[in-house]
Amino acid sequence: MIAPLLEVEDLSKTFTIRRGFPVAKTSLVRALDRVSFHVQRGEALGIVGESGCGKSTTARVALRLTEADGGTVRFDGQDVLAAPASAMRRLRRRMQIVFQDPASSLDPRQRIGEALGEPLRVHGLARGAELTERVGALLAEVGLPATAAARFPHEFSGGQRQRIGIARALALGPDLIFADEPVSALDVSVQAQILRLLDSLRQARNLAFVFISHDLGVVRHFCQRVSVMYLGRVVETGPVGPLFEEPLHPYTQLLKASSPVPDPERPVAMAFQEGEPPSPLNPPGGCHFHPRCPRAFDRCRAEAPILREAAPGRAVACHLYDAGFAGSP
Amino acid sequence: MTTSDLLRVDGLTTQIQVGGTWYDAVREVSFSVSGGETLALVGESGCGKSLTALSVMGLLAPKVGRVGAGSIVVDGTDMRAATESQREAMRGDRLAMIFQEPMTSLNPVLTIGFQIAEALRRHRGLSKAAAREKAIALLERVRVPSAAERIDAYPHQFSGGMRQRVMIAMALACSPRVLIADEPTTALDVTIQAQVLALLAEIQRREGLAVLLITHNLGVVASVADRVMVMYGGDVVESAPVRAFFARPTHPYAEGLLQAMPRVDRVQELAAIPGTVPTLSEMPKGCRFQGRCPLAEERCRERPPLVPLTGAPDHAVRCWVRAA
Repeated sequence: MIAPLLEVEDLSKTFTIRRGFPVAKTSLVRALDRVSFHVQRGEALGIVGESGCGKSTTARVALRLTEADGGTVRFDGQDVLAAPASAMRRLRRRMQIVFQDPASSLDPRQRIGEALGEPLRVHGLARGAELTERVGALLAEVGLPATAAARFPHEFSGGQRQRIGIARALALGPDLIFADEPVSALDVSVQAQILRLLDSLRQARNLAFVFISHDLGVVRHFCQRVSVMYLGRVVETGPVGPLFEEPLHPYTQLLKASSPVPDPERPVAMAFQEGEPPSPLNPPGGCHFHPRCPRAFDRCRAEAPILREAAPGRAVACHLYDAGFAGSP
Repeated sequence: MTTSDLLRVDGLTTQIQVGGTWYDAVREVSFSVSGGETLALVGESGCGKSLTALSVMGLLAPKVGRVGAGSIVVDGTDMRAATESQREAMRGDRLAMIFQEPMTSLNPVLTIGFQIAEALRRHRGLSKAAAREKAIALLERVRVPSAAERIDAYPHQFSGGMRQRVMIAMALACSPRVLIADEPTTALDVTIQAQVLALLAEIQRREGLAVLLITHNLGVVASVADRVMVMYGGDVVESAPVRAFFARPTHPYAEGLLQAMPRVDRVQELAAIPGTVPTLSEMPKGCRFQGRCPLAEERCRERPPLVPLTGAPDHAVRCWVRAA
């Protein structure tokens, strides 16, 4: 196997939250609980899960926008979490991020040309006429006219602003982009345009993606592999086709059955299943999913399952699949 | 109009004012919904689906939006002929609405119980104690656990899914006949969305509600609607029973939307619709989709009528090319 471009191992992050009045209480949120995954060059790995499962924290911690409590992140052989500031500066050129709402990450008073040229200038990669030329090339690459450089963010639609966000992430020629819900705020027809753009960039530049999304359809379409998270833990991982055709973890099965598809013969499973995801503040013991799991048994309440290989390239964290378990499928 | 139509809209044209000019943002929209039936209005941002809902509710902001033409009849009451106080008596009583983001429609400084009871005290004249009792029963009906205790909680103490249940309880307080649900599950996680859709379907069945569901999600439409109307640029471009629509999406826009939607259950090549929706001031004359349509012809510069397909009287399309 070729060494992965990004290798995340046992990444952990606990947030301390103080809230309450008049006497604030301190509580701990285990946002990431020994999360591991890897991404090859040119590969898109999807991370799916619902609100509060830790998928956005994964990106922030791996990029060191938030410091981790434990675990390792290796990027092209380098230890990211231990890198000194100067090495980190070089690493950031190669690892970029695209957010859900580019409007909130663009300065409303800064022209698009300046926003795109800034990283090139700061990193000393281009100036003067060359800078203008590079900005024009970036705009062309994401399907915007060169005239966009002289305009302000508010003059663009949501889809165009996302193109600008992508152009900015591309400016420094990264090898890896963390894309955090990059198409969630967009209408379906525009979403398809952006997904096609991202896919063509992935192929043309051999770009790797960690693609964070709550939409299983989008992940199946865009990614090659996917990791499913639930309350800070990876519960299942594998190639998109087999994983979505035949999900192993009961939570992945629930996610798939709940995802609407445009086919009246396959309505959303509305079999009344009670229970919401528990608060990450106070997750249930054992397997976090056990209170909602139709197949939970005693061991699930007592012991957290470990992510283990279930088939070639596939792994699942569920006691149902433990070797030697009498009821294993 | 058949007697079972609880909501009937005819030739509704809604205008909005931009920079001193009034533009038609909803054009001659007609539909009816009977008891127990769900009609889905589907389309992307700015297609006029929410404006249609606000027009029915009589909730257009006066200087921004107005109903230019058409009739709106809710459970036998002509909403356009009614006075504002008559309309107010309808809203929250026979005609109720739930919105996408319950947090913005709930008052953060009042308890859940107070907000549910408000409609009962106002429309039904119930005493404080009786309204509270009914509010607890309503919370139980929408399956909020420990309703008797949570009735005194504030909105921020509820999760998103539970807040949407509270909104549904408020909407149901006075046993409405017509429910307008504007993107009721869009802000929710998918497993919670499935629960809320199940709850809405169960309540609708039991109460015989007419439901107008506003959504951008064709998957949700396929799961819960009986009929669907696709809107684009203020026009209804296709209208059909749900099965017929998904078996044979006919308007190029409806077809494009389905091809642009990535699905979890199969792999398909995504076909993006080129361009974006024109702004109201830049809308082309004639068919409003012509600028983005792969089939556009000379005659599309004239507005096509909404006509039934041959052999399918309840499946109508607004397209010169496809309706032929």
